[in-house]
Amino acid sequence: MTILVFTLILLLAAYCAGLLGSLTGLGGGVVIIPVLTLGFGVDFHYAIGAALVSSIATSSGSGSAYVKEGMTNVRLGMFLEIATSIGAVCGAAVAIYLNNNIIAVIYGCVLLLTAAMQQRRKSDHDGVKGSEMARRLRLYGTFPQKDGSLKRYELRHVGGGFSVMYVAGVLSGILGIGSGVLKVLAMDAMMKVPFKVSTTTSNFMMGVTACASAVIYVQRGIIEPGLACPVMIGVLLGALTGARLLKQMNVKVLRQIFCVAITLVALNMIWQGMAGQY
Amino acid sequence: MTIQDLIARTLRIGVTVACVIAFIGGIIYLVNHGSEPFELERYLHFSYSDPHSPAFTTVGGIFDGFLGFTAVGWIQMGVLVLILTPVMRVLLSMFDFLRERDWLYALICAVVLAVIISNSLEGMA
Repeated sequence: MTILVFTLILLLAAYCAGLLGSLTGLGGGVVIIPVLTLGFGVDFHYAIGAALVSSIATSSGSGSAYVKEGMTNVRLGMFLEIATSIGAVCGAAVAIYLNNNIIAVIYGCVLLLTAAMQQRRKSDHDGVKGSEMARRLRLYGTFPQKDGSLKRYELRHVGGGFSVMYVAGVLSGILGIGSGVLKVLAMDAMMKVPFKVSTTTSNFMMGVTACASAVIYVQRGIIEPGLACPVMIGVLLGALTGARLLKQMNVKVLRQIFCVAITLVALNMIWQGMAGQY
Repeated sequence: MTIQDLIARTLRIGVTVACVIAFIGGIIYLVNHGSEPFELERYLHFSYSDPHSPAFTTVGGIFDGFLGFTAVGWIQMGVLVLILTPVMRVLLSMFDFLRERDWLYALICAVVLAVIISNSLEGMA
């Protein structure tokens, strides 16, 4: 196999990962790591570097549309980014001490949580009584509905959400992924932010979270140009295609199939990691 | 233009520029090395203690490569532009909050910027 063939295969794989990540709402970074490690046998560290770059690209690339629509709660995102960026710095500092096996187990657990979260009902949390803290921070917002009207919402448990965001940041720093699952968990389940606002705000935050640890990753040599270039371009194009398809496609069945698939991948990774096979 | 439009535009332009630069780097790489046999071995093991070429791990090395039209220099420059995109977004939001005299949120933006920049400088040192 020549370098050209490998690069094209990687580009195609990254495109599919971006497409699936976007259709299922998991994010391209989550899908590209098992593709590189289980599919190609690449070292976890290089896979994480490539995932980190693609997380920033998809967050910025697909995030811009949601910001424009007014779906993203920019204030909430900015406020919680304090927690995720500090977390990411801590995660990147800890990452040096973790070997491939430990990383595989942590990653497998995040995947399992992701699969479990996919089963949650997507709720707008009508009639939530906001907390005093959230009101003072002016985190209440509005979001556009299908008929074009704006719907107001309030939220609560700012402290709890902030703490979970810190953990999400640590995981981003270690794994290079956006940790969307924990971000949505914090906003949707804890702070009672409407589901659509939670997912778009989580996506909006990913870029900044990943940025906090990205320069250190470049300096450590984890972002390998030969892998990073096709992965970044492939995942971004896949994610953009996915965002377009999502408007006219029913992805319910796809999500269920994918849920089973990532559960199997997760169990495989945890098993191999525990057995020390990486 | 509202701040939403400004943020959306910054993100879109940043990610486009980054991908175009990295794509040009990828083309240079494939033109020079595309027909060489691929060795998976180099991606199989990573160690922090291995020496890593400054051409893709330091800002100075990346700039040199960029000016010298090397593949690595252009790809990593694309990565750097990509990293700068969300940072620009935070910076622009901060100016907007200052203009609106929303001191609390201007401060929040400043804190996030400080975390990112201090960590990046530490990485470069």
